[in-house]
Amino acid sequence: MQIEHLSLTNFRNYARLEMPLPSAPLVLCGDNAQGKTSLLEAVYYLATSKSPYTTSDRQLIHWRTEDHPMPHARLVAEMVSDGRFHRLETTILLNGAGGGGRFKKVVKHNGVEKRVMDVAGLLKVVFFMPQDLALVHGAPSDRRHFMNVTLSQVDRDYLAALDKYERLIPQRNALLKRIAERRASPNELSLWDEQIAVAGAVIIAARQRFLRELEVAAQRTHHQLTGDKETLSLQYQPSFTPTADGGQQLSFGVIGLDLHREIDADTIAPQFAARLEAERMESIHRGVTLSGPHRDELRLMINQRDAGLYGSRGQARTAVMSLKLAELAWMTERSGDPPVLLLDEVVAELDASRRAFLLDRIDGGVQTLLTTTELDIFTPSFLERAAVWHVADGQISTSATP
Amino acid sequence: MSKAIPEPVTRLIEAFASLPGVGPKTASRLTFYLLRAPDHLSADLSAALHDLKSKTRLCSVCYNITGDDQDPCAICADTHRDSSVVMVVEEPLDVLAIERTASYNGKYHVLHGAISPVDGIGPDDLRIKELVARVTAGGIVEIIIATNPSLEGDTTALYIQRELQNKGVKITRLARGLPVGGDLEYVDSVTLMRALQGRNEI
Repeated sequence: MQIEHLSLTNFRNYARLEMPLPSAPLVLCGDNAQGKTSLLEAVYYLATSKSPYTTSDRQLIHWRTEDHPMPHARLVAEMVSDGRFHRLETTILLNGAGGGGRFKKVVKHNGVEKRVMDVAGLLKVVFFMPQDLALVHGAPSDRRHFMNVTLSQVDRDYLAALDKYERLIPQRNALLKRIAERRASPNELSLWDEQIAVAGAVIIAARQRFLRELEVAAQRTHHQLTGDKETLSLQYQPSFTPTADGGQQLSFGVIGLDLHREIDADTIAPQFAARLEAERMESIHRGVTLSGPHRDELRLMINQRDAGLYGSRGQARTAVMSLKLAELAWMTERSGDPPVLLLDEVVAELDASRRAFLLDRIDGGVQTLLTTTELDIFTPSFLERAAVWHVADGQISTSATP
Repeated sequence: MSKAIPEPVTRLIEAFASLPGVGPKTASRLTFYLLRAPDHLSADLSAALHDLKSKTRLCSVCYNITGDDQDPCAICADTHRDSSVVMVVEEPLDVLAIERTASYNGKYHVLHGAISPVDGIGPDDLRIKELVARVTAGGIVEIIIATNPSLEGDTTALYIQRELQNKGVKITRLARGLPVGGDLEYVDSVTLMRALQGRNEI
């Protein structure tokens, strides 16, 4: 897919921006705090309705609009996907003056108002930022987030199940606390457990399939990056391990779910429900739901050893790069249309050989937006086929020198 | 609020502003309108406000709002309505919405909310026990569950369905589907999927 035109109004430090995007790799160059990242953030927001950096939509609206009677930010992408033209528009509105107001998000596709869920996946992105390099050693929630963002853009059923699941869990947890305070009966739990098991099973089954497919692409890239010295594998450790026949899995220690023995959601759901019921007493005692996709873990293994525990920093970075390029390949394969690749400052973080490897993969086919503070990290041959734009104080100049 | 305005005025402005859908500007406008309007308007309004709470009660059969001199309520007392069919709704306003269709001739049961532990609402906070008692008492053939198509409404429907199992009543749920006057291509996929599941033979 290809974004042909991007238009921003009152987004971050852009009061107004109308920008036709080239199909060549686009390098956005400028000092810090000038608005390079905000451009990538805008594209990411249009695709996922979330910012990769903040959970508060207030921060996304230009500070100058604070006195405006109706503070708002508008993002519009005109794009071509599968040979068809789409106009995707998101408006973030602050209802009522002052900072205490609530936000409203209005999403339009070709001028018609839609629910966020209905436009998901229309614009697909792979976002790679320096923080991602810590994915291997970081918190499990970061790795779940990685799975969620990627899967949600491609798999509608996954997105719907995740959305429901994420609303069900707080309800169940609130009920657990009420039961502990003897203000509710444990019998009420089955109402929620049943729905959680169904939604959760869809998530677990989709993650298993996703990781099996992703592993193939990640392994291939990792072999290339390490000259076949290292073998990268993915280990999916659901918070409980479903089995294909519903029986007990016999294992010593954590070995994760066998990615190659596919288990469908209908097989997982009753096992998940049974697990929730078995843990009921402890859940009530602790006031939280102990098992489920919200506690899943994904481990990256290098030569069968856990890279998060035993890997060096360099190994971990290489593994993340393999994973990110695999994400790009997987999304292209599943949807038949390559997503837009957003590389935020990440090129500067890589050493020369990995940098060359990454830049080699950026050519026609995949629309790519990169940000950087310095141009000399790129090879002359890359800059020759790239468009270089300079960003300063929310203004963009497309000439070679500012 | 400025000291230039006397306390009774600011008190009313604040009272209006605490209502849903009324901001400080509308509250001021309403207050100053009443100040200038003929005396009987504010007298009528205050009497109406007083009676709202003191002269209404919940119907002892369906738990809808009714006058304090009318129990059971007008709908429950109406002998022309079919008392073998009961529609379960979340709020009294839902009764008004269904009544506006003029195509339902059964009775109602108002739950006064939906199950939502996050908001501290459990089945015991709703009129579900009363519904079960009504069904157990007999004479009801069909229960139509008309809770909202939300997570909480669906969960409430699930709970009611379980409570009424084996009570020998038919339990149905309002269909979900296409809006009238809508365009098929603009309908979201979830609605379309549900409309397909709930299709009717013609």
